[in-house]
Amino acid sequence: MNTLLKTLLLSLTLALSANAADHIIDQKGKTFVPSSITVKVGDTITFKNSDAFAHNAYTDDEANEFDTGMQSSSTNKTVTVKEAGTFSIECAIHPNMLLEVTAE
Amino acid sequence: MRTFILSFIIFLSPSIIYAEKSNLALGKAVYEETCISCHGVKGETNPEMKLVVTPRKLNETILTEDQSFQIVKYGAHHWGAHSELMSSFKSVYTEEQLYAVATYISTTFNSHRTQRIQDLLNESTTLSEKEEKSMLKVGGKIFKRRCAWCHGETGNGESTYVEASKDNKDLIYPYNLTRTLLDEDQIFLYAKYGGHFWGAGSDDMPSWKKKYNDVKLKSVAYFIETQIKKIKKK
Repeated sequence: MNTLLKTLLLSLTLALSANAADHIIDQKGKTFVPSSITVKVGDTITFKNSDAFAHNAYTDDEANEFDTGMQSSSTNKTVTVKEAGTFSIECAIHPNMLLEVTAE
Repeated sequence: MRTFILSFIIFLSPSIIYAEKSNLALGKAVYEETCISCHGVKGETNPEMKLVVTPRKLNETILTEDQSFQIVKYGAHHWGAHSELMSSFKSVYTEEQLYAVATYISTTFNSHRTQRIQDLLNESTTLSEKEEKSMLKVGGKIFKRRCAWCHGETGNGESTYVEASKDNKDLIYPYNLTRTLLDEDQIFLYAKYGGHFWGAGSDDMPSWKKKYNDVKLKSVAYFIETQIKKIKKK
């Protein structure tokens, strides 16, 4: 019974992760490109930094709170969407950068 | 007695006007000999000048005449700029010449400055008594959460942002705020509207007006003025 449960859980995890998509957001010219996305819970968002200087993506949304920390040029940072809802992602250094996320 | 005073004023007026004109002429001469190559004919910056740091537009500067004098005398690096491109001219020109050029910049390119600053301050939100009491706490929190990323925890310009961007040869280094010449009102206006609005060549010091209201930005300015600034004007 224990083995059956473990197998089921493993299958479920594998199935979920197989369906999870990774959404690439570029940070370029002090803007998020694209500036809005629709994702599913469990999907990941990867932040590229194509600018020559650092960025720091974060959200204050309680359900999906994250902070990538200082992100150098030409590096990637990935976060996972935890709950459904709409929320904004900003850059701690460049206040005019805004990414609107709709999580379903 | 009244007639005597009146005659005395009338007697002095032409000499005051003459002194002002001669001061402006002296400032113009210095400006055209040195400053013009970077800052342009009317302080709008010379587009031909390709430098790592774009020279400031003097026709949009937030600086007062006296602050401009301090910059030309001691150089921008002394007052917190990372770059030494705007160097000290105290060994090149006399005190009189340096003040004359500051007067020339202030009266010729930027005569609207005082009114502009006053208008922007007048239209900003006035803090309530309760808000005034919490300025240090609110300002300190925002400084740590936002300003410190670039300017560093102590405001000296050594920060994680600089560390993370050190491979960028075009990096515009954040100012060392411990040495800034700006007063509290000027810091508020600089944070609210951003460096580009006040004549900086880049928008690396962004405008924070969409993110924070006047009360919060005034609190940050108060925090910088009272906790970060370490040197006073000579």
